[in-house]
Amino acid sequence: MNILFLTPLFPLLGALVLAFNPRLPDRIAGLVGVGSIGLAALVMVWLNVTFYGGANEGVTQTLWQWVAVEDFRMGFSLYLDGLSLTMVSIITGVGFLIHLFAAWYMREDLEGGPGFARFFAYMNLFVFSMLLLVLGDNLFLLYLGWEGVGLCSYLLIGYYYENENNAWCAFKAFIVTRIGDVFLAIGMFLLFAQFGTLNIQELLRLAPEAWGRGDLMAELAALMLLGGAVGKSAQLPLQTWLADAMAGPTPVSALIHAATMVTAGVYLIARTHVIFELAPMTLGLVGLIGMLTLLVAGFAALAQTDIKRVLAYSTMSQIGYMFLALGVQAWDVAIFHLMTHAFFKALLFLTSGSVIIACHHEQNIFKMGGLRKTLKLPYACFLIGGAALSALPLISAGFYSKDEILWLAFDHGHTWLWLGALFGAFLTSVYTFRMIFIVFHGREQIHPHAGQGLAHHVPLIVLAVLSTFVGAMIHPPLENVLPAGPEGQFGHSVQLMLEILAAVVAIVGVGIAAGLFLGRRRLVRSLVQTKEGDRLWRFFNSAFAFDWLYHRVVVRPFLFIGRLHRLDWVNSLMNLWPGLALMLNGLLSDTQSGRLRWYAAVMTGGAIATLLLLLLL
Amino acid sequence: MNLTLSHLIALLPLLIVCVTVIVVMLGIAWRRHHVVTASLTTIGLNAALVSLLAVLTVTPIRVSPLLLVDNYAVLYMALILIAGLASTTLAHAYLEGFDDQKEEFYMLLGCSVLGGLTMVASDHMLSLFFGLELLSVPLYGMAAYAYRTRLSLESGIKYMVLSAAASAFLLFGMALLYAESGSLAFADLGARLTEGGGHASWLLMGIGMMVIAMAFKLSLVPFHLWTADVYEGAPAPVTAFLATVSKIAVFALLMRLFMSAPVTDIASLHTIVAIIAFLSMMVGNLMALRQDNIKRLMGYSSIGHLGYLLTVVVASDDLALLTTGIYLITYVATTLATFGVIALVSSPWQGSDVASLKFYRGLFWRRPYLAAVMTVMMLSLAGIPMTAGFIGKFYVLATGVEAQLWWLVAGVIIGSALSLYYYLRVMVMLYLHPTEEEQYDASSDWGQRAGGIMVILLALAVLVLGIYPQPMIMLVSSAILG
Repeated sequence: MNILFLTPLFPLLGALVLAFNPRLPDRIAGLVGVGSIGLAALVMVWLNVTFYGGANEGVTQTLWQWVAVEDFRMGFSLYLDGLSLTMVSIITGVGFLIHLFAAWYMREDLEGGPGFARFFAYMNLFVFSMLLLVLGDNLFLLYLGWEGVGLCSYLLIGYYYENENNAWCAFKAFIVTRIGDVFLAIGMFLLFAQFGTLNIQELLRLAPEAWGRGDLMAELAALMLLGGAVGKSAQLPLQTWLADAMAGPTPVSALIHAATMVTAGVYLIARTHVIFELAPMTLGLVGLIGMLTLLVAGFAALAQTDIKRVLAYSTMSQIGYMFLALGVQAWDVAIFHLMTHAFFKALLFLTSGSVIIACHHEQNIFKMGGLRKTLKLPYACFLIGGAALSALPLISAGFYSKDEILWLAFDHGHTWLWLGALFGAFLTSVYTFRMIFIVFHGREQIHPHAGQGLAHHVPLIVLAVLSTFVGAMIHPPLENVLPAGPEGQFGHSVQLMLEILAAVVAIVGVGIAAGLFLGRRRLVRSLVQTKEGDRLWRFFNSAFAFDWLYHRVVVRPFLFIGRLHRLDWVNSLMNLWPGLALMLNGLLSDTQSGRLRWYAAVMTGGAIATLLLLLLL
Repeated sequence: MNLTLSHLIALLPLLIVCVTVIVVMLGIAWRRHHVVTASLTTIGLNAALVSLLAVLTVTPIRVSPLLLVDNYAVLYMALILIAGLASTTLAHAYLEGFDDQKEEFYMLLGCSVLGGLTMVASDHMLSLFFGLELLSVPLYGMAAYAYRTRLSLESGIKYMVLSAAASAFLLFGMALLYAESGSLAFADLGARLTEGGGHASWLLMGIGMMVIAMAFKLSLVPFHLWTADVYEGAPAPVTAFLATVSKIAVFALLMRLFMSAPVTDIASLHTIVAIIAFLSMMVGNLMALRQDNIKRLMGYSSIGHLGYLLTVVVASDDLALLTTGIYLITYVATTLATFGVIALVSSPWQGSDVASLKFYRGLFWRRPYLAAVMTVMMLSLAGIPMTAGFIGKFYVLATGVEAQLWWLVAGVIIGSALSLYYYLRVMVMLYLHPTEEEQYDASSDWGQRAGGIMVILLALAVLVLGIYPQPMIMLVSSAILG
């Protein structure tokens, strides 16, 4: 495993090369940007081969001593086990496909303008940070990656910075996730204060020895970690930034705001699952947050007009499923869903990018329509991705992972969560196929030009294949990392029944979507035109008006307090000191008369004073 | 006592500088030539510097009762010689435009260096006085070298009168000590002090008077008033010399005296030195706050810096000698480069120095590298990490904390906070957009000339020592142990 360090190294080198040569020709910049991730992906393949051939156990690679203060030591160490291998595979594998697609997308998007190298520098830096996040063997290194990922997200959301609104979106994402980061930092301090180490494996070993189940400290630590996870993964109550994060280029949305970064919270909880197992209340909260988020996001997705915002809310709800899975201690299934979600959500986002370019940067789904005849490949991809997202039975990857979550939620006795999740599944298939029907069916309103070239086709086709049941046949090697969870109460027959139920719900959702949005949509239109309907639509469209709420509850009071402190008496008190210093300066400057006799007199006086003091003291 | 070969080797640096001074003097008498004179001086000082390597083979060695050449002395000799060399280089560029006799300057400088070398090796009151006068008297001449300008002449005279008064204190103090202990050697004095008894108060007065004289030379409060005027009036290379060589020599001697004669054990003296240190930190930094003349500003800042360093004397523990060495090295490098930039901007001499801060406005846009050097120096003086000044200040603080001198530690911190203001003011000035007014600049080829190269090397040294101070620390600690 001694080539493990190469995985983050290649993206870092790529980022540095591109950052210091912003004027590289697009062709070379693309080659560097995509190639670096490609090399990392090759290393990932090699890691997989050796991992499966080897003992299937965690390995640490210490690159150098990072911190050494007294007896506190921390290495710059990478740790590879089944969990991080899965994450690395997703990040570099899916990441490579997205980079490849981005080479096509950005060329079409920028049309020869500047910024190509900058884009890939950010993207490579992002992949590097994300790899650090999942490979770090201590929380400190994880935090470095965590912050790096946040920075890159900020840079990429604000990539089109000439438009002021995008800059504000970037601010929003950065600030909201930063709130979560503070919680994570506090959690780290807490763990360090308790155990004197930040090494994750050691923490997981020490925590059960020190804490009993339900200990206050365990709950507190888990709660803080959850706070960090909620911020990064855009879950309630810190979910508001994700939809606005769609201001970035579409491949960014695919890579960061769907396939990798937003799953960091899921990874964090899975990684520190031992602590969460000691904190049953917080663990329950994880499941509850997941369920609430997936419902809120599901309703919100129903009422969006921007194709990317629909997908953004669907991402939020799918991560809600992962949180729910974590909450019911279905650890490995959460990661399994993370993987399949990475496939189909990357597919959906890339395809939407292809559609957006084809429609001359149009993102409003109501201005598209009837695209299935001209955009055959995107249509097929959207169908496959949509099927996976709505977990259509047997053929889609999403079915295998999502149904497992539903089943385990029920089996572990969380009936309410199961019900919520089932309803969420229904919503998912409605909004997914609403989008597909509106975009690809109905009257043609726009003349698209289909995307061409290998960089466009290959990622879509590969991801499409992975989004079918083929993708679900990949099983992440998590047996040695994550525990199986509690014993179930029900037998196989119940499982089969529930699976059929879930499948039926999904299909019914598709049917309802077809009824409502295929054809002339008269029913929907008349519903929205009523006063209540309009109000409800706006409520859903704003994702339950959280932005409005936060503006009232947080932003305005904050600004008010800020205004109050403009006349800060502490500050005015501090202003006394410069005044005092200047006064003394004035007094002392008067002693510099320039007259020799005065100087001599002062010297003599000083001498006398010195000698007197010597004798008297 | 017989003079053996190893004694001669130990005296080699002094002898070489002596010969240099004589050769320069004879050379001037024979035929005036600026470049030749300057080169001769440079060669002589360099040879003395190299000869220190030979000296290291025989240290420690006592040469007559007056001089003790040990590694401690060699370290400070090296520092003095380097500072002397730097001043020579600066002076050469500076004096090129001087409209009077240029060559005698180098002779004076050589004499003064000789005095400094004597001082750091002295172990006896006699050599102390001899060295101090040899150091100071040429300095009067150097300060007043541009005697046709009023400021220069004034500074020379002021320095001479006040310095003479200080010397009187020194002599009187020595006389009292001799009357009490019957010996002029430091070691005997120490023995006499630890014995106690007798007329203790006369001893105390004697030491007090010596302290006053040294405090004057180090421009400590309340004997500091001359500093700004002399710094301002003296030509820039002279100020560089005055701010470095004279401080190194006096401080090194002070430390040796206090280490061999544990006078700071006396409670009252301990208190006095602590008060002087605290006052110097405060007064120096406060006075510099609104100063618009960069040479005066450096004068005030030197008061503050010597105040910091005096903490070490108050502590007088194991760390003190190490801190002294490190602080003096970093301070000297920084001060030399700062005055180097001033001298370069003022060169060649045009009647007066470019010292007003407003002339440095926008220097970055005209001479970016020179402004960069100045920036590094200001950061180093302020004690910002990654510069040598930080290492020095860190050691001072460590010494203060180790000895639990909380008042002085607080003084260092407050002083540093105050000093940031005026150092940053200088820095900001460098980067502002230049005004339309008349500008003074270093000649455009300054980087290829000796003075320019030296300034850049010093700036690099300040950075390197700030990032990787280990060699310097090793050097100083080996010098102390030897």
